[in-house]
Amino acid sequence: MERFLSLIHRISHIPAFTAATALFVLMIMTFCDVILRSVFNSPIEAATELTRILMAITVFSVLPIISSTERQIAVDLTDPIFDHFRISRIRDGLVHLASGVMLYWPILRIWALAERTREYGDVTEYLAIPQYLVGWFIAFATAITAVSMIFTGFLYLFSPKLLERSL
Amino acid sequence: MTVALIGFMIVLVLVLVRLPIVFAMGLVGTFGFAYERGGSIFSERGLNAAMSMVGRQITDTAQDYGLSVIPLFILMGLFVNKGGLSRELYAVSNAFLGHMRGGLAMATVAACGGFSAICGSSLATAATMAKVAMPEMRRYGYSDSLSTASIAAGGTLGILIPPSVILVIYGIMTETSIGKLFIAGIIPGAIGILFYLFAVRWTVFRNPDSGPAGERSSWGERIRALRSVWAVLLLFFLVIGGLYGALDFEPLNLTFSPTEAAGMGATGAFLIALARGGLTLKSTFVTLKETAYTAASLFAVLIGAQIFSNFVNFAGLPEGLINLVTAYDVSPFVVMLMILGIYIVLGCVFESLSMLLLTVPIFFPLVISLGYDPVWFGIVVVVVTEISLITPPVGLNVFILRGVVGDVSTSTIFKGVTPFWISDIFRLMLIVLVPAVVLFLPNQM
Repeated sequence: MERFLSLIHRISHIPAFTAATALFVLMIMTFCDVILRSVFNSPIEAATELTRILMAITVFSVLPIISSTERQIAVDLTDPIFDHFRISRIRDGLVHLASGVMLYWPILRIWALAERTREYGDVTEYLAIPQYLVGWFIAFATAITAVSMIFTGFLYLFSPKLLERSL
Repeated sequence: MTVALIGFMIVLVLVLVRLPIVFAMGLVGTFGFAYERGGSIFSERGLNAAMSMVGRQITDTAQDYGLSVIPLFILMGLFVNKGGLSRELYAVSNAFLGHMRGGLAMATVAACGGFSAICGSSLATAATMAKVAMPEMRRYGYSDSLSTASIAAGGTLGILIPPSVILVIYGIMTETSIGKLFIAGIIPGAIGILFYLFAVRWTVFRNPDSGPAGERSSWGERIRALRSVWAVLLLFFLVIGGLYGALDFEPLNLTFSPTEAAGMGATGAFLIALARGGLTLKSTFVTLKETAYTAASLFAVLIGAQIFSNFVNFAGLPEGLINLVTAYDVSPFVVMLMILGIYIVLGCVFESLSMLLLTVPIFFPLVISLGYDPVWFGIVVVVVTEISLITPPVGLNVFILRGVVGDVSTSTIFKGVTPFWISDIFRLMLIVLVPAVVLFLPNQM
């Protein structure tokens, strides 16, 4: 199990690297677009559609990581009460499990939406990138998020020590 | 309207058992929407409509062009700080203000204001400045309560002085121009700095030992200190000037949309940090990664808030509130005061972003129907949120200070914060009574 977790830990560098690269490209592209437009009067025409795609990649690549490492924004007002009754771990386990399961229906719907754009043959305006690819990516990333949250939930409930070491 | 209120209560309960906000708002929003559309939360027609709305909301938010300002502005703040800005800003403020009584605390407030002009988060501003300003103030024998309070209060300026993550989120939720919101934050932010300087003066007037005077710097030293921050100052004027349309003349012709301003700012900050040797390949990667994490968590809550907001609107909560106000014939100003009261009470317990996400969908339509300006209301909400950051018992900035400094009790910080809190209330009153303070600059755009 521990080996499996360290493998997951190593694999998690891939989405983080993807997000970092997408964000860096987005930054440089926006800069170049402004400079090219104002100095040479020739903006990057595809900048808007590329911005949309790069944003989706940046955000959804790391969604599984932030969702299973307590980086989702939550209100911690009642923590002292849960700590007092020593049920924080059970609460965290159930919260992760419930959240992961909850994602099942949105994933199906995002997938269906992507399939619909594929049938219609929707592509982006300048570069003709098929829209469904982005939809697929979002659905896929949300699915990984769901699985990793359910997995983290089980770890909280049944193997908290292992989780502590892997976080 | 009752359904929406019940939904709101369920969201409160769910977030209090620590369900992440996106799931609490998303879940209630989905089932609430299904109820409104199908007559029961389990009706197939209703659930189908709700799931369509959710799926579309997720896909659309992920690819929202306007939202790209969030990661880019976060990136700008982080990169600039890699270049050692916080220390230099403090050195400059200190060179000009340090020789006065309470001068180091005043310098702290000014440096926080300067840092806010690059950083869009109050917590980050407080945490960063605490590391720089606290040791200096200790060295000169400043009382713990004044030194921590000046950082906690000064840090709140982060979300008001542009760029501001909170203002972007407000802008997206209410479809208000982000450029105008940013520009509108400048004067209230400057007033904030001024009032905080008064609060410091008042504290040292009451207790002269709390903030002894430091050494006076010569003009040569002051100019040398200024020279170290010129690049960042230039970056700020470029970003905000471009946004405002002030650079639209020959041969520059620079006007930026918020996204472009953020992209210019981030790249400029990256180049400054690179030139100063503050970046390695690894630290660049870590900065980009951390930004992506923060952006993803902000996008997630935003998706949740939009789903919830769709439900609340569909359930007729805004109209219900408007009818209520009309039926009782309450004057708009009294309604505004009640809303502010609710914000201050909620602010005692809720963290800034959660408060914004929960309340804006409910209050915004009401406030607009009463004839108030959306940009003005955005600034008012942010100023109230700033106050909540230093209000007991859950003033987050105070806890940040407690965390960074370590050996100061929360009650000491809260005690020191009191004059700053009062000056914040004065500022809020000024903004509410004289809306021109907020609207003067954006109306020139």
